[in-house]
Amino acid sequence: MTTLANGGRTKSSGGLKVGRPSFLWSLPAITYFALFALVPLGVVAWLSFNSWDAIGSPKWVGTANWSAMFSDPIFIKSFKVTAILTTLGIVVQTPISMLLGVWAAGNQRNRAVLSVLYFIPLLLSAAAISVVWGQLLNPYFGFPHELHWLFGSALFNHGYLFSSPSTAIGVLTFVGMWQWTPFHTLIYQGGARGIPEVLYQAASIDGAGRIRQFFSITLPQLRNTMITSLVLMLVGGLTTFDSILILTQGQPGTSTTTTSYYMYEKAFQSFQFGEASVIGVVLAVVTVLISLIIVRASGWDKMRSTQEGV
Amino acid sequence: MLSSNKCSRRGAVAAAATIAVAAVAAVGASASSAQTHAHASSSRPANEINILMYGDAQNSVEKYEIATYNKTPEGKKVKAVLTTIPGANYQTKLQTIMSTSSAPDIFFNWGGGSIEQFQKAGLLLPLNSMMKADPKLKSSFLPSILNAAKIGANYYGVPMRGTQPVVLFYNKKVLSEDGVSVPKTWAELLSDVKTLKSKGVAVPIALGGGDQWPSLMWYEYLYDRVAGPSLVTDGLAGHKSVWGSAASKQALGDIKTLVNAGAFGPSKSWDSIKFTAGTTAQMLVGGISAFELMGSWDYSTIQSQGSTATGTNPANGPGATFVKDGDLGYSAFPSVSGGKGNGADLAGNTENYYSVLAKTRYPQAVADFLKIMYSPTMVKDELAIGNLTTTTNTPKLISGPTAPYLKWQYNLVHIAPAFQLSWDQAYPQTDTNALHTAVAVYFDNLNASAFISSMEKLTPAS
Amino acid sequence: MTRQRPNYIAGVLTTFWLLIVLVPIYVLVKGAFQTQSNYIASGPLSLPKDLTTQNFHLVFQDGFARFFLNTGIITFAVVLIVIALVPPVAFAIVRNRSRTVTVAFRILLLGLAVPIQAVIVPIFYLISKAHLYDTLLAVILPTAAFSIPLSTIILTGNMRDITSEMYEAMALDGASSWRTFRSLVVPLSRGGIATITIFSALNGWNGFLFPLILTQSAHVEVFTLGLYDFTTANAVDAPAVCAAVVLSIIPILLVYLFARRWLIQGLMGVGGK
Repeated sequence: MTTLANGGRTKSSGGLKVGRPSFLWSLPAITYFALFALVPLGVVAWLSFNSWDAIGSPKWVGTANWSAMFSDPIFIKSFKVTAILTTLGIVVQTPISMLLGVWAAGNQRNRAVLSVLYFIPLLLSAAAISVVWGQLLNPYFGFPHELHWLFGSALFNHGYLFSSPSTAIGVLTFVGMWQWTPFHTLIYQGGARGIPEVLYQAASIDGAGRIRQFFSITLPQLRNTMITSLVLMLVGGLTTFDSILILTQGQPGTSTTTTSYYMYEKAFQSFQFGEASVIGVVLAVVTVLISLIIVRASGWDKMRSTQEGV
Repeated sequence: MLSSNKCSRRGAVAAAATIAVAAVAAVGASASSAQTHAHASSSRPANEINILMYGDAQNSVEKYEIATYNKTPEGKKVKAVLTTIPGANYQTKLQTIMSTSSAPDIFFNWGGGSIEQFQKAGLLLPLNSMMKADPKLKSSFLPSILNAAKIGANYYGVPMRGTQPVVLFYNKKVLSEDGVSVPKTWAELLSDVKTLKSKGVAVPIALGGGDQWPSLMWYEYLYDRVAGPSLVTDGLAGHKSVWGSAASKQALGDIKTLVNAGAFGPSKSWDSIKFTAGTTAQMLVGGISAFELMGSWDYSTIQSQGSTATGTNPANGPGATFVKDGDLGYSAFPSVSGGKGNGADLAGNTENYYSVLAKTRYPQAVADFLKIMYSPTMVKDELAIGNLTTTTNTPKLISGPTAPYLKWQYNLVHIAPAFQLSWDQAYPQTDTNALHTAVAVYFDNLNASAFISSMEKLTPAS
Repeated sequence: MTRQRPNYIAGVLTTFWLLIVLVPIYVLVKGAFQTQSNYIASGPLSLPKDLTTQNFHLVFQDGFARFFLNTGIITFAVVLIVIALVPPVAFAIVRNRSRTVTVAFRILLLGLAVPIQAVIVPIFYLISKAHLYDTLLAVILPTAAFSIPLSTIILTGNMRDITSEMYEAMALDGASSWRTFRSLVVPLSRGGIATITIFSALNGWNGFLFPLILTQSAHVEVFTLGLYDFTTANAVDAPAVCAAVVLSIIPILLVYLFARRWLIQGLMGVGGK
């Protein structure tokens, strides 16, 4: 039962004409977003074939930038660094967020107050957090100095946290975790609240203990939540920038130079915008591809469409 | 599956495509038209000249300059507005905006390679005619200093701060307590480090490795002392083979010796501290370190260490007490026996300059503002924070608590046979990152061949 | 009926996490009220004595009042744009099943994956060509744009709670899509709209990269940049930095406290039921 397109009504279902919004309703948002996110993607692709230093105008150089970047060892290494930081972030944050979120979904008395406190890191900007932690971790005047019994060991590089690649990465992972776990906790909390009570009741009647229930009921029910959280963590990890700029500047050497930070260096410190654009294109393509793969493989977006309100 | 309305779908796709094409076309059109207009009117308010300044502990003087100018009759007509950009971002910001309508009328720079790109793009105003209209704008400054901002036959910079040789600062108390003398030779420096370590000084030489450029100063001096100034001059002129020469390797070897002696603390520890965060000044004042090799501006940095709020004038923290009590010592870089370089050679920043935008809206206001640079009041203000101005009347105006430091510095500069400009200002901006990384990586890994090949990859100013 | 939860493990973990979260905040807040010499002498973890408010005075003297104002304006404008653009598109996504809208939704989902860093260079290029460089608009426009994908996801999740019976009731009334939107959808989506308000406000308040690249002068400087600049200038004054950070949290903390319930509800739609 089709209707003619007129004044905002396109489709009907179930035999009734309902006031459904036309495509035009989505146009403003899409246009605006396209202007600031999609058009620039096109421009960055174009710029990658040019040479530009912010003075004067871009000059066409063909594939010169592309071959230069792909034979640049720092660029290649940056992928490894990005992969390490992103994976560490996911591995560290997921268990904590999940457990905290599930706990917070319960009915403990002091849950409300604690939730507010837990949320504070999210309210701080990455800049503020990095500035504060940078000071706290000063080897001669910060925590490493005052808590020497803790930081003096080889595990913490004797307090010189920014001097070894592993501890520098550790600091970045810790600061990222400190900031983002509240966000993912909330996501898991929301997901856990949606788990039907009856499942747990049935399970306890069957004699299943707490831990068994967690693994057989909670985890499977949180599948969609996990995917959402995972995609967001991935994108977040691939694009971490503020904390690297403030805390390590890609150092020591180039061991915390992620792909997105290297792009910033190439563009805004070496003024090689053409080569930086190559990195931009690669970054965008990789990020979108990975997200697409995860979303498709898990059927996440299909799940959504079958749940559209009809 | 419900079929969709074909008409609206096609229409929507067409609409989206049109929008995208239109957007790109608009961007392209504005890009080309912007070029043909040779930059339309500035997006900044009228009757204002904008001065872009490097942000650091010494900005109090620049702020004072602005205030002084704004009180003059010219200043009341065309106001001067100061914008400070924190040091770490300064060159980024400058380059980013130089060809936009937000370009500053006057901006801070280091002469040499730091303004070459702009001059080549025709963005700078030659100051020769200004100097003809106001002869004192030229005659008040030392000729050699003016020449460092000269390209071809045109002057592009007016000196505005002071010459900044790199010198060895030290904590007098630590040296005397540990029975260590001020090193005049390289061998003495090494033995001083050994003695200090044995007396429990954790980090004999404070090094802000996290900033990377402080490490560069060690290279600049050692290369000069060991190989003479010509090696670096040749390298900058494009003769890449100098980096692999025997002299170069020897200089690198000397750095290695110092690093391995633990002079800068445990291996790589220096990467966790920065000059720009005030840590090295804190270490020197607090006695954790005995030495710091740093530009002459460190006097001001040390003096304001621990002061409440950045750049307070007068300083009011432990650093101010440290300097007032006479505990701050300073000395020239040691000589290296058997080296080709003269022990009186200097490295550092020859000066800082104000350069002028070619399309400034108010050249007269700019000329009036620049007059302040050689006024005795300003010279005295700079001298008061330990900056050695390069005006011809400087020696007469040196007075007050900074006088000993300044007289000593003046003498250093006066007798120096050679003054090597900091490598990261001598090389063009595009090389800065690679240079800093090479310098920092060698300090960490002490791999000479890696350093040499990195230096050979740099593309010097042509 | 209480749920079964791993109680002891949860208890230990939550206490441990509480410490991790609170200790730096304690250091931060305490540091804001200490004098510089006190802070250095006693170290970050010690108990405070001789409290002072001078740091807050210093922070304001250094132009932070201006930064607050700019950040406030930007945040307000970003929220305005998001609230104007996102509810209509969320409505379309939830109620319009045509391919074009599904494609539009997919574009927005993919947009979530486009990193700001990848497009910052062209955005800089576009903004400077549009003569918008170094203005508040230069920060507002891209920030709002990049808040759209996540806001759309959150709001569509929330709008799905409106049942089809309600829509059919409106249709029986002969309501147009506009009236349905105005009288049914918006009032019932208040929670979701509150949530996206908070999220886009957070984006505007805490944004760093756009202001860093697209502005330069002090008169358009935002708070995050001001904080970064404050710290990268020489001779750092740690207590003053702490005071600046503490000040930066207060407005957004107040917003959060008021809208806490809506925030949690909003995020619950994201995970998918």
